Amino acid sequence: MTNDPSPETFLPLPTAVFHILIALADRDRHGYSIMQDVAARTETAVQLSAGTLYSSIRRMLEQGLIEELSKSPDPSSTDERRRYYRLTRFGRRVAAAEVARLNALVRQARATGLVPEG
Amino acid sequence: MRADALYRALLRCYPAAFRDEYGEQMLLAFSDQLHDAPRGVRRAAVWTGAARDAMAVAPKEHWYVFLQDLRYALRTMAARPGFTAVAILSLALGIGANTALFSLWNGVLRASLPGVQRPEELVMLTDPGEGGVWRGRWDGRTDGPRDWVSYQEFEELRDHAGLFASVMASQSGLGLWQARINGAALEEVRGRMVSGSFFQVLGANPVAGRVFTADADRVDTPEAVISHSFWQRRFGGRGDVIGSALAIRNARLSIIGIMPPTFVGETTGQQPDMWVPLRMQPRVLPGDNFLQDTPPDKAMWLHVFGRLKPGVSLAEAEARANAVLQANLVAFYGPDAIGERRTEFLDQRLQITNASRGASPKRSELATSLTALLAGVGILLLIACANLANLLLARGAARRAEMTLRLSLGAARGRLMRQLVTESLVLAAAGGLAAAAVAVALHRALVMMLAEADPSFAISFAFDPQMAIFLVICTVASALLFGLLPAWQATATDAALALKEQGRGAISGRGRGRTGRILVGAQLALSLPLLVGAGLLARTAYNVQRVDLGFAVDNLLTARVDLRATIDDPARRDVMRQALLDRIRQAPGVRTATFSQLGVFTGGFSTRTIAIAGYVPPPGRNPETTLDGVGSDYFTTLGTRLVQGRDIEERDTRAAPRVCVINEAFAARFLARRNPVGLNVTVMDDSGKGTVFLVVGVAKNARTRTLRDEVEPRMFIAGLQQPPGAGNPIFLVRSQSDAPIAAAVRQAIMDVDANAPLTSIRTAGARLAPLTAQDRAIARLALAFGLVALALAAIGLYGVLSYGVARRTSEIAVRIALGAHPSHVVAMIVRETAGVVLIGVASGGALAYLASRLIASTLFGIAPRDPATFAIATAVLLAVAACAGYLPARRASKLEPIAALRAE
Repeated sequence: MTNDPSPETFLPLPTAVFHILIALADRDRHGYSIMQDVAARTETAVQLSAGTLYSSIRRMLEQGLIEELSKSPDPSSTDERRRYYRLTRFGRRVAAAEVARLNALVRQARATGLVPEG
Repeated sequence: MRADALYRALLRCYPAAFRDEYGEQMLLAFSDQLHDAPRGVRRAAVWTGAARDAMAVAPKEHWYVFLQDLRYALRTMAARPGFTAVAILSLALGIGANTALFSLWNGVLRASLPGVQRPEELVMLTDPGEGGVWRGRWDGRTDGPRDWVSYQEFEELRDHAGLFASVMASQSGLGLWQARINGAALEEVRGRMVSGSFFQVLGANPVAGRVFTADADRVDTPEAVISHSFWQRRFGGRGDVIGSALAIRNARLSIIGIMPPTFVGETTGQQPDMWVPLRMQPRVLPGDNFLQDTPPDKAMWLHVFGRLKPGVSLAEAEARANAVLQANLVAFYGPDAIGERRTEFLDQRLQITNASRGASPKRSELATSLTALLAGVGILLLIACANLANLLLARGAARRAEMTLRLSLGAARGRLMRQLVTESLVLAAAGGLAAAAVAVALHRALVMMLAEADPSFAISFAFDPQMAIFLVICTVASALLFGLLPAWQATATDAALALKEQGRGAISGRGRGRTGRILVGAQLALSLPLLVGAGLLARTAYNVQRVDLGFAVDNLLTARVDLRATIDDPARRDVMRQALLDRIRQAPGVRTATFSQLGVFTGGFSTRTIAIAGYVPPPGRNPETTLDGVGSDYFTTLGTRLVQGRDIEERDTRAAPRVCVINEAFAARFLARRNPVGLNVTVMDDSGKGTVFLVVGVAKNARTRTLRDEVEPRMFIAGLQQPPGAGNPIFLVRSQSDAPIAAAVRQAIMDVDANAPLTSIRTAGARLAPLTAQDRAIARLALAFGLVALALAAIGLYGVLSYGVARRTSEIAVRIALGAHPSHVVAMIVRETAGVVLIGVASGGALAYLASRLIASTLFGIAPRDPATFAIATAVLLAVAACAGYLPARRASKLEPIAALRAE
């Protein structure tokens, strides 16, 4: 993966993309699982719709942030129609870059006294 | 289940490729989401999300696919620069020509007056199609509603026709004046005299200075307003123009305002340099007073425009305006109008029409020609599109392997078609952009061509929303026309068959070849009407130029001297006329000279009512003839043969018996089967008094006014036997040789009077040229269209045949190797296309037969279905088709079988 573009060129990440990256961080998931995870983590503040989800997935696949698995990682899965997605190493780097960018922003906001120190 | 079906319907909003890839997954996710959501609000939120996606996410996906296709299209275009250049160039020319002609057609025939507020509210009380001056009495029976009104009639309409919110008048013909600006040399300007309310009624404001007010109709206002184009042309757009001195004949004016660029006034197709108040007329055109009329003659020269008061109908306004006119006529003719004459004198009426398009002397004249030319360029674009389609078909064949591979790898056909059509759209868009520039240039060239016939013709290219819409429609329609069929064909591939064919390189691919041949047939069918039209119009231009004038144009000079401008006394004007004629006759190089009131090809026209013993006019019609006052040796100078009797001579003075010469048309109309010489003709004036003239000669018909119309009856009387000082003489001078004599004639005139107002000195040929210019211009355009159509059709045919031969190389090689004679190979190739050529030409002939009636009114001396023209056009088309077809056939017959097969 030496030909990957610099992760910074993808920043800032669209909200949906960042949430999908986070959802895929700990395990491979299918589409609805991603939607559920995002809703649960944000206490339903962010609810992805199917259109937004797959439009983002289409783009992330092309950008190499995620990849599609050829078979279900869950042997107990009964539904063979479901497709599973996994975070790529490049996707992980991009997510990290986004986190660093947000961290820097938070630090600056605190340094100027805009918000109290956590 | 119902929810699934509904969601599937929503999925139709997404691009097919996206739907194919993710549709099933989206449906799964959506069903789960709906299943897990508690009934009520949450479930409704799921649906709202899906609907929002269809409206927000789906368009984004479409845009994404479009960008992808665009990149792909640009790559393909860059990879084939030759094809790309040909396509863009032909589209630029085709769409550009269509846009230019549409702009002209729209501007002359349909568009509202430019630079005018709420033009749809304008109405007109006179005939928008006519411009000029008519002095005399209007006869409603023969002349119909009034073309123009007199100044006094305008004043009364303005002051008494209470149904109008506002009324203004303008000089119906555009004046050509000699002007002196700030003391510089005399220069020609085009100007129009207008009433004080002119600019207010049109709702036009100056960009600098001010305009006339209603006061200009009451007191003499020596002011002029200039047009934007004149400001730019004459003053270079300088800022210090207001207040400049302007002298036109006896009028000393100052420039008070400059109008905006779009403003042309009340007449479309004309761009005046300046506007001058009506009351300046006696000083701008000295010798005539069009402001005062003495019974029974009126000078009718004004167009009247107005805006109706709210709620007033055209019919009400017309009735009211006619009541005003009738009151004026009763007062004007007074004692002259009694008994039967009263009915005749008062038979005059105004007709009110909507004037949103303004006046235009050119509109009716150009309507047929412009519409025919617009149809012509439209057909040309169709032919060009067919050609591009053919090129794309051939290219589609070359890309067959790629398409087949992609189809067999699972690409949807719709997706591939979308990609190919996007390519066509990109090509067309590039062509359309270039077409805008082409349109501006072509429009200018077209206007210049038409201005040869009428120098005052001017209309600018307005790139308004209408034009933009036309350009976009043309572009998209072209793209679909030339792109859809090839895209359909290129993707209509049975993968297995195509791959097999790829390997064999023979036999099949017939479908694609057939489509190409059908396109070529259509091209030929469309080319023939263009060729026939070009032939008919070229023959018309030829006929108009070769029409028998009845006199010799060569070596004939005309010189107009405006004696009324300098000499007030009519008798002294006659003396001066004779002195000038005598001096001109002595000028070096002059063979003979004479004068005429009407001259040749001046547009001047004057008719009189006559009475002839033994001639009974048809009921309800007065016998009328054109009348010209001429000098001695008129027919000798003109070179018109006298079939009987003698010319007007020196001895026909005021003291001598009154004589006249008539033309053959006069003799045929009024004196049929009688010997005219020795008969009397009585010329009536409007007061009912008659003057008797003895016919002393009969001349051959001469066309000195128009070329196309029948020669009208005309009588010629001795200038000296006319009432004194009538009109301004036009001297006609026949030179001894081809050597120019203008300078000598000018000198002769100056010798008599150094300040003689010589307003124009031109050869008769130069006066004749504008009369044929329009026919020539239109014929040239039509010929150009015809030739381009021919070339495109030939290229199309050549391309299809070449492709056919190339496709069948191995088959032909095998045939030759097996001993087929080259002539058989040629025959085989020719046979294949002969059918399509014949069908194309036959349907083209039928099309031309139907369409030729549309231009019938513009033709002259040739029938719209002239068999010779049809035959020649068909022969030319067949000959070109044969040449285009022969080359590939010959190439096929010369194939080296071994080399060809090895190449396979």
